[in-house]
Amino acid sequence: MAHQLRKSHPLLKLVNHSLIDLPTPSNISYWWNFGSLLGFTLLIQLASGVMLMMHFLADDSLAFMSVAYTSREVWYGWLIRSLHANGASLFFLCTFLHIGRGVYYGSYLNENTWNIGVLLLLLLMATAFMGYVLPWGQMSFWGATVITNLMSAIPYVGDSIVTWIWGGPSVNSATLTRFTTLHFLLPFILMATILTHLIFLHERGSFNPLGLISNADKIPFHPYFSAKDAMGMALATVLLMTLTFYFPNLLGDPENFTPADPMKTPDHIKPEWYFLFAYTILRSIPNKLMGVIAMFASILVLLLLPALHTSKRQSMSLRPLSQLLFWVLIADFFILTWIGGQPVQNPYTLIGQTASFIYFFTILILLPLTGMIENLLIKPLRYRPYGPWKIPIMPTWGN
Amino acid sequence: MGPEFGRLAYVRHVITYTLSPFEQRPFANYFRVGLPNTWRRFRSSVFRVTPPFVVAYAVYSWGTEENERLKRKNPADYANDQ
Repeated sequence: MAHQLRKSHPLLKLVNHSLIDLPTPSNISYWWNFGSLLGFTLLIQLASGVMLMMHFLADDSLAFMSVAYTSREVWYGWLIRSLHANGASLFFLCTFLHIGRGVYYGSYLNENTWNIGVLLLLLLMATAFMGYVLPWGQMSFWGATVITNLMSAIPYVGDSIVTWIWGGPSVNSATLTRFTTLHFLLPFILMATILTHLIFLHERGSFNPLGLISNADKIPFHPYFSAKDAMGMALATVLLMTLTFYFPNLLGDPENFTPADPMKTPDHIKPEWYFLFAYTILRSIPNKLMGVIAMFASILVLLLLPALHTSKRQSMSLRPLSQLLFWVLIADFFILTWIGGQPVQNPYTLIGQTASFIYFFTILILLPLTGMIENLLIKPLRYRPYGPWKIPIMPTWGN
Repeated sequence: MGPEFGRLAYVRHVITYTLSPFEQRPFANYFRVGLPNTWRRFRSSVFRVTPPFVVAYAVYSWGTEENERLKRKNPADYANDQ
């Protein structure tokens, strides 16, 4: 009908299908807000990043000074820089909570969406890593040196790959310029990948906390979840502004206030907080190559979750044993993050190795085992004994 | 593309009743039922959520103290020094 332009216009009907008339389960909780929050945070990062790029000079003798100039002389440059730096932390906070929701509620059973999500995580980590190098402070330079040097552990071609990445015999101006280009480019690739993530999600529709098929109880996205998401964005904005205005350097490293000096190594080289869990796993294994493999495995293990799902029920909401193990995993993640910021001394090394072991053991062995135990604890599926139709009383995804 | 309203599910013999928002109290029983229900929800999940964090805090506390201890000299090693 002509007056329902949102359903007939070629462009508007895409917006309509995704954000207005999208059938959404009525019972999705606040854990489902983090997807839209991630999109919101990406927009903040894009806007603030483009404005920072207008003043940034990608040369090793000018970068640090240009960032200081932006913060001091450009109107509201201090605000744009603080928003961008703290926005990255908000981005990762929302990502970890979004993934945690996925693990708890069995969202990984939507495999296409999940696999693209893991790719998004890797793209995000690459973008953030390169972005941190740009201010060319001590931690920028030495963090880049440590992490890019890890590639030399690859047999035969490792050293060549590292020299190719650096564009020289060490991290230098060429490295900075190419990281600037890639840091600008990757967010747009991220946006395109997010679109495919959403396309696959909208094929089936969102899951819900109960883990049951919700087709009989769906409500339109607008106004219910547009309002709920707007509230989530308002709360996230409060958090981001509190950090930006009151504690802008809380999550940063003081070393980055010193310009990069290749002749002076900082006492404690460590990445930003969102990489510390991977840093712990990397340092837990004495062998360099195995440490690198373990670090990548800590992210790529997420791809195995669909295959490791042994429970007959999708969500953990009715599985108390799995719930306990889930929170063991989360507490272990906190321990890994703490240890990543500590020096390589006793007893931190022992705790880090134990926590790394617990991380992989819980995901690969304990959670699947617990799923199987819980299957034995539920009553068998019953069918209605009467009526013209025969459907199971508790249908679940995957059947 | 994807499920749309009208093609989601076929459910028969379900009758729903609703009351106009103008005929009911907003935030009805918000505290009288809401607070005991919140306590019930907290009780049903607290012993699954908090034990791992209690253990994690104990590890953090012990690890920090042990690291400090290992950086100190032991006075007993120097008890017989002249």
